[in-house]
Amino acid sequence: MLLRLPTSLHYPITVTSLLKQAGDKVERDEAIFWYIYQTTVEEGDGLGNKVQVKRKFPTRFESSVDGEILEWKISKGDVIEGPLDVVEIDEPCAHEVQFGGLCAECGKDMTEATYNTEVMDSMRAPIQMTHDNTTLTVSEKEATRVEEDAKRRLLASRRLSLVVDLDQTIIHATVDPTVGEWKEDKNNANYGALRDVRQFQLIDDGPGMRGCWYYIKLRPGLEEFLEKVAELYELHIYTMGTRAYAQNIADIIDPTRKLFGDRILSRDESGSLTAKNLQRLFPVDTKMVVIIDDRGDVWRWSPNLIKVSPYDFFVGIGDINSSFLPKKQDIGATNKLIKAAKEKESKDHHPNGTVAKPESETEVSALQQLVTMGGGDNPRLLHEQTNEQEETILHQVEDRPLLQKQKELDAEDEASPESSESPSVEESQESNKHRHHLLEDHDRELFQLQDRLEKVHLQFFDEYDRRRSHAIGGRVAALRGEKTLSKDKDVDLKLVPDIKDIMPMFKRGVLGGVVLVFSGVLPLGTDTQNADISLWAKSFGVAIASKINGRTTHLVAGRNRTAKVREATRYPNVKIVSTQWLLDCLVSWQHLDEDPYLLHIHDDDRAEPLSPNSRELVESSWISSSDEATGASLWTDEEGNGNDPEIFNSAGLTETSHIGYDEDEQAAVHDELKDFLGSDDESESDNEVLGDETNTSGKKRKRGEDVDSETGEDSAEDDDDENDQKGSRLSQRIKRSYERSTGLREVATASSSEMGETRPEHVRPSGPHEDEPDAENVGTSHDNDEGFPENPDDDDDEFEREMLAAFEDDFDDNAEGDDMADE
Amino acid sequence: MFFLKEETKVISLHPSFFGPNMREYLITRLNEEEEGRCTGDHFVICVMDMVDIGEGRVIPSSGNAEYTIKYRAIIWKPFRGETVDAIVTSVKPTGIFTLAGPLSVFIARKNIPGDIKWEPNTVPPQYTDHADQVIEKGTSLRLKILGVKPDVAAINAIGTIKEDYLG
Repeated sequence: MLLRLPTSLHYPITVTSLLKQAGDKVERDEAIFWYIYQTTVEEGDGLGNKVQVKRKFPTRFESSVDGEILEWKISKGDVIEGPLDVVEIDEPCAHEVQFGGLCAECGKDMTEATYNTEVMDSMRAPIQMTHDNTTLTVSEKEATRVEEDAKRRLLASRRLSLVVDLDQTIIHATVDPTVGEWKEDKNNANYGALRDVRQFQLIDDGPGMRGCWYYIKLRPGLEEFLEKVAELYELHIYTMGTRAYAQNIADIIDPTRKLFGDRILSRDESGSLTAKNLQRLFPVDTKMVVIIDDRGDVWRWSPNLIKVSPYDFFVGIGDINSSFLPKKQDIGATNKLIKAAKEKESKDHHPNGTVAKPESETEVSALQQLVTMGGGDNPRLLHEQTNEQEETILHQVEDRPLLQKQKELDAEDEASPESSESPSVEESQESNKHRHHLLEDHDRELFQLQDRLEKVHLQFFDEYDRRRSHAIGGRVAALRGEKTLSKDKDVDLKLVPDIKDIMPMFKRGVLGGVVLVFSGVLPLGTDTQNADISLWAKSFGVAIASKINGRTTHLVAGRNRTAKVREATRYPNVKIVSTQWLLDCLVSWQHLDEDPYLLHIHDDDRAEPLSPNSRELVESSWISSSDEATGASLWTDEEGNGNDPEIFNSAGLTETSHIGYDEDEQAAVHDELKDFLGSDDESESDNEVLGDETNTSGKKRKRGEDVDSETGEDSAEDDDDENDQKGSRLSQRIKRSYERSTGLREVATASSSEMGETRPEHVRPSGPHEDEPDAENVGTSHDNDEGFPENPDDDDDEFEREMLAAFEDDFDDNAEGDDMADE
Repeated sequence: MFFLKEETKVISLHPSFFGPNMREYLITRLNEEEEGRCTGDHFVICVMDMVDIGEGRVIPSSGNAEYTIKYRAIIWKPFRGETVDAIVTSVKPTGIFTLAGPLSVFIARKNIPGDIKWEPNTVPPQYTDHADQVIEKGTSLRLKILGVKPDVAAINAIGTIKEDYLG
C-alpha cells in the first residue's frame, strides 16, 4: 500500500531523516521519518512585548499502517509542497474481508481509531455481497474477484443470473384466515381453487402478529417454470418480505433448495425498505443479471428488469409486504380485474349473469382501498409504516376481505329477482360455480415469462458466441496468455456482452414506431410521461404523446366515451384499443394484433371520419409515411438550394394543415426563420452600402446560426412539450441537423474565403428582390404560423438570439470589410 | 472459556405476584431473562443458583417490589486463540459462516487450508478437497478463534481452520 501524506500537514515540509530503510518492519503509529515545518508563532521578547517570529519545528511522521517498507518515494532533504506518496508499505493483510468490524483474515479490530487514523480500516471493505448476512463486508477487489469467479462459472455452464421477486410475481400470499376455513371446507365454492394453497405460520413476527398463518398460492406452472429456468439461469430470491417469510416461501417453492440454494435476500438484509438495489447482490457489474418483478418502480426501471404482470389470486389482497414501498400506480391490476370480470360475464351461462358486474366493482373498490391502505403515504415514516403493515395484516385477519366479498356476492345472488323457488337449488349450485370464480386461477404469465427468459438467454449467448469467435481470430495469442491465467479456459470475461444493452435493444423493437395517446387511463394530473405504465411502455420503444395528431398510431382508452376517443375516430390510422392491448403487448413482448382489443365506439361518438381525399387525411398520412423525408428535405431547403420541387409540394400541403405535430413545430421553426429573414432584410438595407459580399457572407453566416438555434429549439420542444416523436427518429433528426449546421458553417467560412467564386450565386438570393420569394417559400409554407401563439419564453429567446445574431453580423461585416480591403 | 461468575440483578415485581410463590416466580424470571443473554462481553450460559435474594423493597408510587438478587452463573467468554467446536450455517465463496453455540464465527477463505476449494456446482454448495473432506451446511468444524469483537448485544468472531488438528 502506498502511504500518502495527509492534507492536514503544515506544508511545505522538509524531510530531515528517514528512520526506516527498505525492508524494515513498521508498526502502526511508529515514526518513520523526521521532517521540519515552518510557522509563525507569537513570542515574548523579554520586554513584555509580543512579536511574531518564524520558527522551524521538527516533527515525526507516523505510519498509519503495519507492514514492511518496500520503497521510499522521498529522500533526505526533500522539500515537500503538498500531499504526495511517500512510502510503499507491504501490508501482511489488506483487510479485504471483514466480519462484524473484524478483519476476517487476521482478526484485527477494524473499527479502532487513533489520532493518526485518516480513513477507518473498516472503509476498506465497504461492500456487502452475501445474501443472508449483513455483517460480512468485502473490499471492491475481493468483490470483483468473487464475482468474476461466479461469472466464469456461469459462462462455462452457459447460464445467467436471475433475480426473482416473490410477492405477486411467482406467488400470492394472504393472511386472511378465511382462506384456511375455505380450504378445510370441502363444500366451499372456492375449495377447488384453494386445494394447492400452502400455508405456514410465522411465530415471532412482531407484536400483534403472533402465530399468524400465511396462505401461499403458487402461480400456475411455477414448478415447471422454475425447473426450466434454472437450467438457463442461476436463481436468486430478492423480496421485501422478512427473512423468515422468505425462508418459508423458499421451503415451499424449492423444498430441496436445488434451485435457489441459500441465495435469498430479504428486506432484513436489503439495506433499504423502499427500493431494491441490484448492486446489493452484484456490486461490481450487472452484465449478466436479469430481474423479474411485478413492480418496476422499486428497481427504478432498471434496464435489467423484466416487468411481469402482478399475480392477483386472492382478489383484493395486493402485496402483503408492500407497506414500505411507495404507493403503486395500479392500472394493470384494476383493468385486469375488470377484464376478468367481463370474461366471467361472457363465460357465464347463468341466467342472471349480470351479477358479475357489481362484483367486479366491489372488487375494484376494495382493491383500491387496500392498495391505499397498504401502500403507505410517506415512505420516510418507517415506524408508522411498520405499524401500518401490522395494521394491514391485522385488518386482513380481522376483516377477512375475502369473506366479506363472498358474502356480498352471495347477497347479490340471493337478491337477484330472477331466483324463484324451484330453480333455487340449481341456482345456488350455479352461483356456487360462479362463486368459484372469486378465486380463479387462469394466469398464464409464467409460461410467457419462460419464453421471454429463454429468448433473452438465447440472445445473450448468441452475442457472446459471436464476439468470442471474432476475438479468437484476432487475438489467439492474447487469449492464450489469458488462458494460462484464468481457471476456466474457455471464458474470456472481456467479451461478455451486457444484458443491459441486449435486453432493451430487444425490447425496443417490439413496439417501436408506436405512438400512443392515453385517454381515461391515468388519473388527471398524472405526468403522462412518468407514470408507471408509460415508463414500462417506453422501455418497449413506445412514444407517448399527450394529444392526438397525424402521427398517433394508437389511442389507449380506459373508457370508450372520452373526448379523445371521439377525436381519434376522425383519424382512420389511429387504432382505438383498450388498455389490455398495451398490457398484453408489454407482457408478451409482441406487437399483438389490435383487432380483438378494439374498443367498441358508441355511434354518437363517431365523429365524421376524414374522407380519403380530404386534405387533412392526405396530409396526415403523408406525414406518417414520409416524414423523415420531409425532415431531410426541409433541412436541405434551409441549406440554401431550395429548388427541390418536392419541397414546394410539401409546402403547399402543409400550408393548410391544422394539426400535426410536425407542422406545429416546423411552423414555429419557420416562423422564427422568417423573423430572422425579415430582420435580415432590414439589416441588409442598412448594410447594402457596404456591398454585396458583406451581405452575402453575413447572411450566410446567419443562416448557419438559424439552423443552430432551430436545432436547439427542436430538441427542446421535442423533449419538453410534445415528446410524441419516436426516440430514434428524433435522435436521427437532431444528428442530421447537427451535421447540416456544421456543414453550413463550413460553407460559410468557405464562402468568405472564396469570395470571388461564390459571389454570383449568393448575391442572387440575398438581394432584396430575390430574397422575397425565398423567404416566402419557407414562410408561406407555414402561413398558419399565426394560429400558434408563441411562448413568451420563446419570444425572449428569440430576441436574445436576434441580438446575438445582429452582433455577430456586425462583427462579420467588419471582418468582411477587412477581407475586402485585403482583396 | 467458561467461568462461574457471581452477578447481581435487580428484578422488579408487580404486586399481583406477591404471595407464597414469590420465590419460585423470581427464579423463573431470573432464568428467563438471564440464560442465553449476551452482554456484549460474554454469554450467560446457565444460572446455577441464587446466592441471595435480598429483601424486597416496595417502590413508592408504583407499588412494585424490587429485589436485588445475587446469583451464580456459568458464563462463556470467547477468547482469542481459543479452540471451539462449531456447526456450519452457510458456505459462501468468501468463506464459511459457523455457529459455536451462541457465537457466530466466520472463517475467511484465506483461513481455510489451500487444498479445500470452493465448489459451487454441488447442491448444496460446499468446500471440498475432492476427497473425503467436505464442508457444507451442517458440518461440524473445530476452529481456532482469531479475533473477537464485542458488539451491543452480540459477539462476532473470526476463526481459522488452517492449522494442525483443526477442521
